Amino acid sequence: MSLKTSTSADGQTVTIEVKGKFDFNFVQDFRSAYSAIEGSIDTIIVDLRETEYMDSSALGMLLNMQKTLSGRVNNIKISNCKPQIKKILQISRFDKKFDID
Amino acid sequence: MLKHDGFDVVLANNGLEALDVYKKEKPDLVLLDVVMPYLDGYETAPLLKELAGEVYLPVIFITALEDQDSLTRCLDVGGDDFLSKPFERVILHAKIKAHARIRDLSQKAFEQKKQLDFYRLKTEREHQIVEHIFQRAFEGNYKAPHLLDFHLSPASMFNGDIMLVELGPTGNLYIMMGDFTGHGLAAAVGTLPVSSNFYSMVQKGLSVGDIAIQINDILLKLLPDDMFCAASIIELNHTGKSLSVWSGGTPDMYLIDNQNDQFTTIESQHMALGILEQDEFDAASMNYSVAKQEQLIVFTDGLVEIMDENGEMFGYERLTELLKQPHYQEIPNIIDELNYFSGGVEQDDDISILSLRCDEVNSNLDQNQYSYSKLPHSFSLTVDAEAIRTSDPVLEVIDMVTLMKGAEEHRSTLYLLLSEAYNNALEHGLLELSSSIKDSDDGFIDYYAQRDDLLNKLTSGHITIEVNYVPEQTSLYFTVTDSGTGFNVDAKKSELDNEDAHGRGFILLQEIASSVEYNAIGNQVKIGYQLNVS
Repeated sequence: MSLKTSTSADGQTVTIEVKGKFDFNFVQDFRSAYSAIEGSIDTIIVDLRETEYMDSSALGMLLNMQKTLSGRVNNIKISNCKPQIKKILQISRFDKKFDID
Repeated sequence: MLKHDGFDVVLANNGLEALDVYKKEKPDLVLLDVVMPYLDGYETAPLLKELAGEVYLPVIFITALEDQDSLTRCLDVGGDDFLSKPFERVILHAKIKAHARIRDLSQKAFEQKKQLDFYRLKTEREHQIVEHIFQRAFEGNYKAPHLLDFHLSPASMFNGDIMLVELGPTGNLYIMMGDFTGHGLAAAVGTLPVSSNFYSMVQKGLSVGDIAIQINDILLKLLPDDMFCAASIIELNHTGKSLSVWSGGTPDMYLIDNQNDQFTTIESQHMALGILEQDEFDAASMNYSVAKQEQLIVFTDGLVEIMDENGEMFGYERLTELLKQPHYQEIPNIIDELNYFSGGVEQDDDISILSLRCDEVNSNLDQNQYSYSKLPHSFSLTVDAEAIRTSDPVLEVIDMVTLMKGAEEHRSTLYLLLSEAYNNALEHGLLELSSSIKDSDDGFIDYYAQRDDLLNKLTSGHITIEVNYVPEQTSLYFTVTDSGTGFNVDAKKSELDNEDAHGRGFILLQEIASSVEYNAIGNQVKIGYQLNVS
């Protein structure tokens, strides 16, 4: 279980990768991951390729991020979800607020 | 006379006999008369030579004939020397010794040739075996052929370039193109561990950066210091809309968009794989939003370094000029142009080039038909305050449940259901936290800080988790009961119907579960989930 943040070589994309369980244990870490971003950038990618589980608190965290960064980021993407995780996001209507692939 | 001088001598009275004696005794040297009954010397010499095979058998004619023609003929029929009778003993000695030396050399050469033949055969056999292994390892079952076009041209039997294509678990397309230092077998050995590791990491769905880290690690351990692998690792999202790239030590890549007349050069960001230690290694990747009409061109340096007959390299400039014309964006047309340029000059490095169209991967991931358990599983466990504080019963229960036939595919969803129920029981039933805390600005953080705090102080209470599987309905039921005082179910429901930040868990339950029932006092919830509906 871990959370990893990386910035692309051109500084325009920040990727937050959550491994294992995406739940309330990451409340602090997740917030620091995006609040460290200064100024405005193009894209934030929340990469869930290695996320096995998520619960409603993770959804809350994603919404909080969106509120905090609105206007400073062009695009927030939730990427590489496994089918079940994607379904959870769709059921929660997150596809209306985020770019989910 | 010769016997007296320490030679072993065997005699034959005529040519025919000489052949027989030769076969039996295998002498090192033959002294031959020209005039003999049955088979004369001129006829015997070539037959003896033939019998001797590849090793030099000196044949010296000893003859009373003195005319030039006869003597020349001695040499013409295969004789190596002649001596006219009468002769001096020392001369015969000297000749025998001189020819013995040559025979000696010839024998050694013959032995060496035999050894060389042996090694050559052995090497050929080994090459065949290795070639077989390589063919098997890279047998081109390339995925997503509708998006890919490529040309691989090794400079020798073994390719030090490597091109791997595989689909990840969510249908993303991964490509790795690598170029090991050098070419031939020495360069190709590195491709085996790289390919097997690449495939296994892609199957796990790792990011390009993480794949790079791992392959770097493997190569660092395996390769000698002066050998490394320039590589690009590319991931095309299954939607075909985003591309991430890690590249180290490779030539530029080009992203071409004819519709919008854009030609983007993607420069290599890092050092090649197999050079930097783990702590120096940089896994940062580049991300691009791409669209249907775009294509990515990736190649190894053999392509731009191909030379014409004057030793001039093809170079990047010629390549980019070509690639700006749609005709040359087709791989076969680029290759034709390259061949024309090189004019048949032999290539001395491996050449690889691929084009990737950025479109939906459309992988048809296997939609397996699962079979479900026919047994009525059920178990329950009660966790007390101590266990609640120190363990994560949800994950353990899910681990058990998913051992059941047909349940594994629903792991994340089942986790979500039980986790919502359990956390409700814990947070509202036992810890008596109010969701309204979440309403304030930092509410979310506060809420979980308070949760943590209260949990550490928890000394009494318990939660019971009951799992029942009803095979007739292929349904799983989680019943979670807490020792708290419960809540007013109807009031809670109407409160939660407003879709706000903290009612989300409740809505999720309703949507995903096939049934959600509370008991009258609100300290127990029973959630049903049907496995064969997705």
